[in-house]
Amino acid sequence: MGRRNVSARLAGRIDLTADTFSLRLQLDEPVDRPVPGQFVMIRPAGGSQPFWRRAFSVAGFGTDGDGGWLDLMIKIAGPGTRAWHELPTGAAVEVLGPLGSGFPVEAVHGRLALVAGGIGLPPLLYAIGELERRGVAWDLYLGAPAAPALVGADICAERAKAGRGRLIIATDDGSRGERGVVTEVLERHIEAGERVDALWSCGPMPMLAALAAVAERTNVEAYVALEERMACGLGVCLGCIVPAAGGGHLRVCREGPVVPASRIDWSRM
Amino acid sequence: MTTPDLTVTVGGLTLANPVLAASGTFGYGLDLDDLCPPERLGGIVTKGLSPEPRAGAPMPRIAETACGMLNAIGLENIGVEAFCREKLPVLRERGVTVIVNVFGASSGQYRDVIERCEAAGGIAGYELNVSCPNVSSGGMEFGHDPALLEELTRLCRDATVKPLWVKLSPNAPDLIATAQAAAAGGADALSLINTLRGMAIDPYRRRPELARTFGGLSGPAVMPVALRMVYEVHRALPGVPLVGLGGIETGLDAVRFMLAGASAVQVGTATFRRPDAMLRIIEELEAYCRETKTSRVASLTGALEEI
Repeated sequence: MGRRNVSARLAGRIDLTADTFSLRLQLDEPVDRPVPGQFVMIRPAGGSQPFWRRAFSVAGFGTDGDGGWLDLMIKIAGPGTRAWHELPTGAAVEVLGPLGSGFPVEAVHGRLALVAGGIGLPPLLYAIGELERRGVAWDLYLGAPAAPALVGADICAERAKAGRGRLIIATDDGSRGERGVVTEVLERHIEAGERVDALWSCGPMPMLAALAAVAERTNVEAYVALEERMACGLGVCLGCIVPAAGGGHLRVCREGPVVPASRIDWSRM
Repeated sequence: MTTPDLTVTVGGLTLANPVLAASGTFGYGLDLDDLCPPERLGGIVTKGLSPEPRAGAPMPRIAETACGMLNAIGLENIGVEAFCREKLPVLRERGVTVIVNVFGASSGQYRDVIERCEAAGGIAGYELNVSCPNVSSGGMEFGHDPALLEELTRLCRDATVKPLWVKLSPNAPDLIATAQAAAAGGADALSLINTLRGMAIDPYRRRPELARTFGGLSGPAVMPVALRMVYEVHRALPGVPLVGLGGIETGLDAVRFMLAGASAVQVGTATFRRPDAMLRIIEELEAYCRETKTSRVASLTGALEEI
């Protein structure tokens, strides 16, 4: 099928923290099973605002009911994301996707470290399901400035308990889990001799830059899921570029959002 | 009623329907193939091509505004050589009507792009981009100076016998004078309008939202301005075919531009919001013709009743 534009209905909302929530969209028609890291562009059907669709990484996917369902996680950052929080259950939504590149699920081996910061959890939460299906062991490093800002810690703890995973929480102020920025906590674990065969990460750009540096120092292959403002999500508006290693740039929506950390020129970011 | 005839003729070029993809919103014609097959359109206008590849503007390049958006992409493109080698053969095979949008930093560069395309063959026509607000040299300076524009158009006219369109700037001090200059230089048709120069400001960071400070405004916000300009140029130069664009999102929007004087229309920003927007516009245009018993869509051009 590839990428499709389908109609959907808002099936429900769960508030996660003071400013984050998850939405479940029940699709009227089927779409391809997203690869973890891929995203969808959504907008309320029929409305003229917001002007652009918004890009959200897939946090969960299932095939039951009509066209199946998608879970998304959203942080309220302005009027657009606030409107998604206020949208009533049953409202019609347009969904375009799945879009962009995903994490290399086919190539995983050994023990994988997943590193999430801020609202970076959704693609990694979705990845956990795929890893469990393939019997791959995982460690999830979940970071936030302080305990109240941790997104999805309880869900992740349950997933870890039920499967082959382990949850390591890092807060900058030490109010929950280990004290320190999540990438520093990760590096301490690697230096302590823990096995990490690959790193998959999503979070704010400075965190991803720090992660790329950790990956280089520890000689571990890293993939990052990037976020940028986009108008189309389809590769034609050229509004979401990031500098590429060796010159030129990459479109976050097409060559990304998931790229090897080594493909980015972090110094020009 | 029989099926309405959607074919239109724009300055000697016949199109299967009046809806074309606007430059810079549809890549090189095949980027959205799966969601909007280019052969179903009246034609596609390529991303602006320069003799050499261009990296474009720094980030941030786009900003969302009320009923529209700003862009300052800076004419990023793969260059005419890569286009002719990698994209054109596929477009030709697919039977797509291809209008090449031409950009140069000097008049010689405009001519270079056309000559390279003429050597490749398979192109339906050219659209000169003399109205991009986002580049430091070339582009808008030609579009703002009638004498320069006439000279540039004539130079390009001499390089091809194919249809030659000039895309006019809404930012020019004298719209009619630039339209007359392009026509005098030998343009077969005029496309209008390109984006309106604007800016957006982030109140918390107290900075412009775009790295280049200014960008081009597009989307429904500009449609009233675009309609007025198409109307004015049509009235002033009734013999010059026009291609209307600026915020078209529906079939009725396309009808509005044709009534104002356009022979065909281009759709740009709507594709970002809905990748199959142009297919819907074509369907809606056909439905309008049935509803109003219009047997030929071409008869709408300039058919506005005066008050």
